[in-house]
Amino acid sequence: MALFFHIPDQIRTLLIAGITVVTLLGIMFRPWKTNEAQIALAGAALLLILGLITPQKALVTLLNDWNTFFFFLGMMSISALAEVAGLFDWLAFQAARYSGHSPRRLFLNTFLLGTLISMFLSNDATALILTPIVYTLVTRLRLPILPFLFACTFIADTASFLLPVSNPINIIVSSRFPLDLWTFLRLLFLPSLLVIGVNIGIFFLLYRKQLSGQFELKRLPSAEESITHKAYFRYVCGALIVICIAYIMAAASQFPLSLVALGGALILLLGALAWKQITVPALGKQLSWSIFGFIAGMFIVVQSLESTGLTTQFGALLLHLSGGTPFGAVIVGTLGSALGTNLINNVPMAVVLTSSLQSIQHTPVTVQHGFIAATIFGCDLGPNLTTVGSLATVLWLLILRQRDLDVSGWDYFKIGIITTPIMLIVGALAIWLLL
Amino acid sequence: MRVLCCLDGDNLQQIQSAMTPFVQANDLTVGLIYVVDNGPRDEMARKRDQLLRPLRHAPARETRIEAAEIAVAQDILFEGKQVFAGAELLQKTGRPEREIVNTAAEWDADLLLICPRNPRHASSAPGPKSVGHVARFVLDHAPCPVLLVRQKNREMFPLKRAPSRPLHEL
Repeated sequence: MALFFHIPDQIRTLLIAGITVVTLLGIMFRPWKTNEAQIALAGAALLLILGLITPQKALVTLLNDWNTFFFFLGMMSISALAEVAGLFDWLAFQAARYSGHSPRRLFLNTFLLGTLISMFLSNDATALILTPIVYTLVTRLRLPILPFLFACTFIADTASFLLPVSNPINIIVSSRFPLDLWTFLRLLFLPSLLVIGVNIGIFFLLYRKQLSGQFELKRLPSAEESITHKAYFRYVCGALIVICIAYIMAAASQFPLSLVALGGALILLLGALAWKQITVPALGKQLSWSIFGFIAGMFIVVQSLESTGLTTQFGALLLHLSGGTPFGAVIVGTLGSALGTNLINNVPMAVVLTSSLQSIQHTPVTVQHGFIAATIFGCDLGPNLTTVGSLATVLWLLILRQRDLDVSGWDYFKIGIITTPIMLIVGALAIWLLL
Repeated sequence: MRVLCCLDGDNLQQIQSAMTPFVQANDLTVGLIYVVDNGPRDEMARKRDQLLRPLRHAPARETRIEAAEIAVAQDILFEGKQVFAGAELLQKTGRPEREIVNTAAEWDADLLLICPRNPRHASSAPGPKSVGHVARFVLDHAPCPVLLVRQKNREMFPLKRAPSRPLHEL
């Protein structure tokens, strides 16, 4: 429409804002069980059809964010190829083996293993791959399942700001606001350790009774059973060590992490193909392609919104609320992003916030760093607050609960509401002190 | 008499003690039920959904999960069978409270035996939260009499008695 005739700026702004709001509401409520990618792409398509963003501008936006797309591709491939080798099953078995038959030590080991996996292979690997493995393990050991399940799903997010590669959100934010490795570690590594400690402490307190007694390791099949091919398993272990070192070196030298992830995935794929452990189509089936559609749609929608100046105004509002102080920046950034991730998904929230934070570039470095670190922190940890990182689902759970219906998500919601605010406060204060 | 006993992996001894008075009955038929709770699977599906992934795991992973669930269910029922020789074994999957109630109706149970909650999950001492959500649902919805199998506890007694007050003070 706007391609063919001129429309006043105010109408254009209203149209873009309306489409953005409808898209975000759609992601929030997902009517008719539509998936998020379809909604985001529909929003982007509508903007393109109405000429509110030009195809060239949309294309440039997507090309500029190649680092994010490639990182998602590399990260998912590495996890999938490591899973094929049985690495995660083997690690979980070792966690049980070194627990000395104590459920409490196994619980601690689950946290430590989740931390290690999230740190180098991202929160997705912990939440999506480690969780079902731990579920299988504790089922066989006849231990209470929920504490271990929650340990995995929580630590996936709690440990996801130890390194830039620990969460794709970190890549989205740092693509716009590059932080050198030292600054990233200085602002987020120690808070992350603190928050992990708080997470473990609260969970031990809540589940202390359920974790009493002993378990029998002989209930588990041997560790060797999880390894499908010994040579490929060793190859994967070696390759992952190299990839982890490469990640740190790349982050230190500001080399694109996505290229390391893709390179690592390629190395693993070559090994998997050589030992006939997977085929390319089989690997393709294990990746979630809809994520790319979702991110692409969101990037285009937010780019359109950015062109109206609304995100700049939102950034100015955040800056105003922070009072222009580092403390305010950390608190406003953390609360804003944590609440936002629970209104919508954390990916669109990170995209909206990074766009909005363009307006902080003239502020002192401490304020800038405060906002950036708090955005990463809030978007990474925020999803732990509610069942699926969405207030819409929580409202639904509350309604079901009022009707005395049993809702499994209620347990997760309770634990999130107890644990996450404490972690957010501790982490935000730590970031502020380290600025 | 058809008695359906709900096993949870930790309560066999309690159920066995509670069944003692019934063992002498001439026409006693014992059923042992164990339900594989699919609640944790729902939690995993929620997390996968949050991370924009298909709700189900890869087929190989699903197979391993199912194998673990079946192995444990069979173990628990086998242990029960050793205590109650000749018992009918009923292995179900779903929400435990609903499966227990539905099975009690389908199996035509005359009596249901259930513990208030798994002793591992919370204190088994009497009190307002001593009955877990599964037992609570079964008590509310069971199609037959339910015997709630508590552990003997005398420590908390006598409970504080509220003094009676004259009518005009109420």
